[in-house]
Amino acid sequence: MEASSSSSAAAAPSLPPPHSLPTSSDQGVWADASPLLAAACRDLQDGELVHGENFSLFAAMSALEIMDPKMDSGIERSGYNSIEEAIEDGVAPVPLSLDRTVDVQRSIDVMDHLFSCEATWHKGHTLAQTVFTCIYLMRMERTSSHAVLNSFCRTLRATCNGVISVVSTARTHEEEDLFTMSFGLPLRDEQDDKCLSILNSVEETISRQLRACKAQALSKKKTLEDLESLQDKPDLEEDYCRALLCRLRFRKHFYHVVMSMRKPHGRGLELARKHVASCLNELSLMLKSREFLKSQSNIMLQDDENCTTASGCQPVGFDVSLNSRLLSPTPPRAVKVLSWSNAIRYFEKLLHDLDVICALSLDPVLENVLHFIVQFQKSVPDLVPRAFLQTLLVQDGKLYGQNLFSDVISRALSLPDIIGDKEFQMNEFVVQLGQLVINLLKILCTNTAWQRRKLGKSLQDWSTISIQLELALKREFGETRNVLHHENMCMRVSKQLLIWTQEHAYWVASRFLTLGFELDLYSPGEYCMVYWYMYVVFTKLIEKMQLRVLASNETSRRKGKKKKDHSKDSARDMTFSSSCLLLQCYVLLSEGLSMMLAVLRNESRSCQLPSIFNTEQERFMQHFDLLQKARVPEHISYYSFKESSSRAGITDLVKYNFFKEIQKITPSLRGSFASEPEKLVELRRIEQVAEHNRIALNIISQVGPGDPSLRISFEFTHHPHFAVAIVKRS
Amino acid sequence: MSAAATSRGAPSPSPASGPGGGDGEISYVSYGGEQHLPLVMSLVDAELSEPYSIFTYRYFVYLWPQLTFLAFDAKEGKCVGTVVCKMGEHRGTFRGYIAMLVVLKPYRGRGIATELVTRSIRVMMESGCEEVTLEAEVTNKGALALYGRLGFIRAKRLYRYYLNGVDAFRLKLLFPRPDPGLPPMMIGDERVDQQIDSPYL
Repeated sequence: MEASSSSSAAAAPSLPPPHSLPTSSDQGVWADASPLLAAACRDLQDGELVHGENFSLFAAMSALEIMDPKMDSGIERSGYNSIEEAIEDGVAPVPLSLDRTVDVQRSIDVMDHLFSCEATWHKGHTLAQTVFTCIYLMRMERTSSHAVLNSFCRTLRATCNGVISVVSTARTHEEEDLFTMSFGLPLRDEQDDKCLSILNSVEETISRQLRACKAQALSKKKTLEDLESLQDKPDLEEDYCRALLCRLRFRKHFYHVVMSMRKPHGRGLELARKHVASCLNELSLMLKSREFLKSQSNIMLQDDENCTTASGCQPVGFDVSLNSRLLSPTPPRAVKVLSWSNAIRYFEKLLHDLDVICALSLDPVLENVLHFIVQFQKSVPDLVPRAFLQTLLVQDGKLYGQNLFSDVISRALSLPDIIGDKEFQMNEFVVQLGQLVINLLKILCTNTAWQRRKLGKSLQDWSTISIQLELALKREFGETRNVLHHENMCMRVSKQLLIWTQEHAYWVASRFLTLGFELDLYSPGEYCMVYWYMYVVFTKLIEKMQLRVLASNETSRRKGKKKKDHSKDSARDMTFSSSCLLLQCYVLLSEGLSMMLAVLRNESRSCQLPSIFNTEQERFMQHFDLLQKARVPEHISYYSFKESSSRAGITDLVKYNFFKEIQKITPSLRGSFASEPEKLVELRRIEQVAEHNRIALNIISQVGPGDPSLRISFEFTHHPHFAVAIVKRS
Repeated sequence: MSAAATSRGAPSPSPASGPGGGDGEISYVSYGGEQHLPLVMSLVDAELSEPYSIFTYRYFVYLWPQLTFLAFDAKEGKCVGTVVCKMGEHRGTFRGYIAMLVVLKPYRGRGIATELVTRSIRVMMESGCEEVTLEAEVTNKGALALYGRLGFIRAKRLYRYYLNGVDAFRLKLLFPRPDPGLPPMMIGDERVDQQIDSPYL
């Protein structure tokens, strides 16, 4: 403090201390600094600043301006300073109304709003600003006399806890920070363990009441005997029973889904699936109850778009600003609670995604696992299902918590003999590769934006291991290329490991490149180079795949396998050749598109981007920087691209029609994929892209690619990664 | 802090010289001192969603006054657009960063934003920057087109980058290397990884 170093806090001892000063203690003496600050202010000229030595303009940026509504999250408050104050003011009464019918209505509104809040939380907001804006949840003990609400809230809270633990274990990144932050909220107490038993007994009471209602309707008796009614209007009893029951049952089954899916080794998946089905059933009953609840609400406060309850009424017992001061000192994030209908849709999607996970066969074949995750991500699952999938796949460093990753790798190398082999498991390369596979599985479960960045970076690791393996091979076995008759097992395993590693580097690279289309990272002017790079990577991927299969066939031939094994091999070869052919389609599509774009550039100068600051070369380097650094593949540079694209001409392109070639391959694939519907869908897409582009190419060649009236644009109407050329003439 | 700024600041693709905009002459000036600060602040505050404190503005305009430009409607003497940037060492690379770019709505579509940002980038290039980065909302077609024309690529997508929950693109412009003798990929190998998220780290 430059301006004030001469004076000290003790400079004003004569003034009486203000009342708000804490009393002095052994730890220190408190003094009022206001006179000192006032004096310092008088000394300062306009534009001057008092600061310490460690002050920098950079550090100053993290300052938040108090009382600026854009920055100060504490400013937007309801006027209540504490939950207790809000409760005293009657914001969250228990019971919710002295009129028993209104009490039931309001309880249902609270449940519905909590349901919408829960979905909003899953969609990436904080628990404090969503579920925990409910005062009943914040002070659970207050509702102990209100069994319906209490059991609902407890089960919800226990479920939230379970979900938080899955998401924190998975660490899917980016959103999970906000998701799992609990800000010291009352997330559980001992009684939460018993939440289900309370819920079950409440459910039992209401369902008995519902049965009684039905029986009474049949026998036309006047009063309900023995049983205590839910509320005071007998003609509404049945509908209210139904509305409450489906909500309570949804909570129960969803709790079971979360708990079963968390069981180790995927042991609870089958049970979870049953509860998923029950949840979906209860959701549809909740939707059905909407008509009745709407008809009973007198005041319609919210329109359907913003309506967070089925009845359309504003719920009691919530205060959005009470927790705002708990949040970290960052500018406030706007939270708009999802509407009740959107929350229903969210949960339906969530449950379908969870169902797909539960149906997983715990197949230990890595290729199938990778395929499953990629397929799963196509439906754009939210954070919660992705976290569940990840925690299922990788548990205690093992696949599904069961299979050592070294065994997963030896299975992938088609070396079943060395499964469980200690030497193989301990091999430093195998250990490192196992770790890489774990990381790969985890990365593939993250959101696609984060996933692509992490995949790009992991390429370096795959490539480093490839290089080390290659060096080790040369060191151990020399440069000899001759196939020795007694080539030892160790060398063969090392060779196969190397090919497998390279193959996966190309697999990662291909996913990295194609995800760029899904994330909209390429502009049309860059498609030519992107497809060219994809063509190179897919070609290499096929090559490595073929080498791997050749090597493993050789191993099995040497062993003189029995006949039974041979039939197993040929089944595997079939699968292999169909995946190879599918890749071949990608190669042809990429090459065809790249060449078509190159022809258009060369002959019509379209799709070219002149820029004042840099050239296409810089854009190439930026897009493929990570692949180039990882040498995926080697000896590839902007010049290779330039060379092949500058030679592209329409005559050659028409002569060797890539799109027609695809149409020769697909019929045979149709048969091999007969039992795999999602692959058939993919095949259909490929065919459509090929057909549209074949026609487009015909038109272009007839008109002449240099024709100035040609207008060509590219759209992703048939496949997310492969564009279709739209040709128009102006 | 984030540079949500670049977003709404960019011109809309439609040629909109609406009421008040006129087509009078625009003059461009480099940041000239404290008297310009309120002009920059009120423009950005009015047009962009992300909140910035006065310290944020001071950080930029005090340290890199040569990278801040203002556009004035010559006839009315009104400030109608501004660009605020920084540059510095970033993981072994000397990099420029465009923090805020704003043009008043009636003046969009006249190339003012392009002119402002081009002036800043030119200074960055002359000062030895190897690349320029910024973030823009994925939905801001106008800004994306503008930067695309200047040679920026969409290097990555940042999930829910803005306080309003919208994703951002990290845009990057790589300048050509001064030494054409060396194959660029050889140099690329030695470059330190520069992919990180915060422009301030």
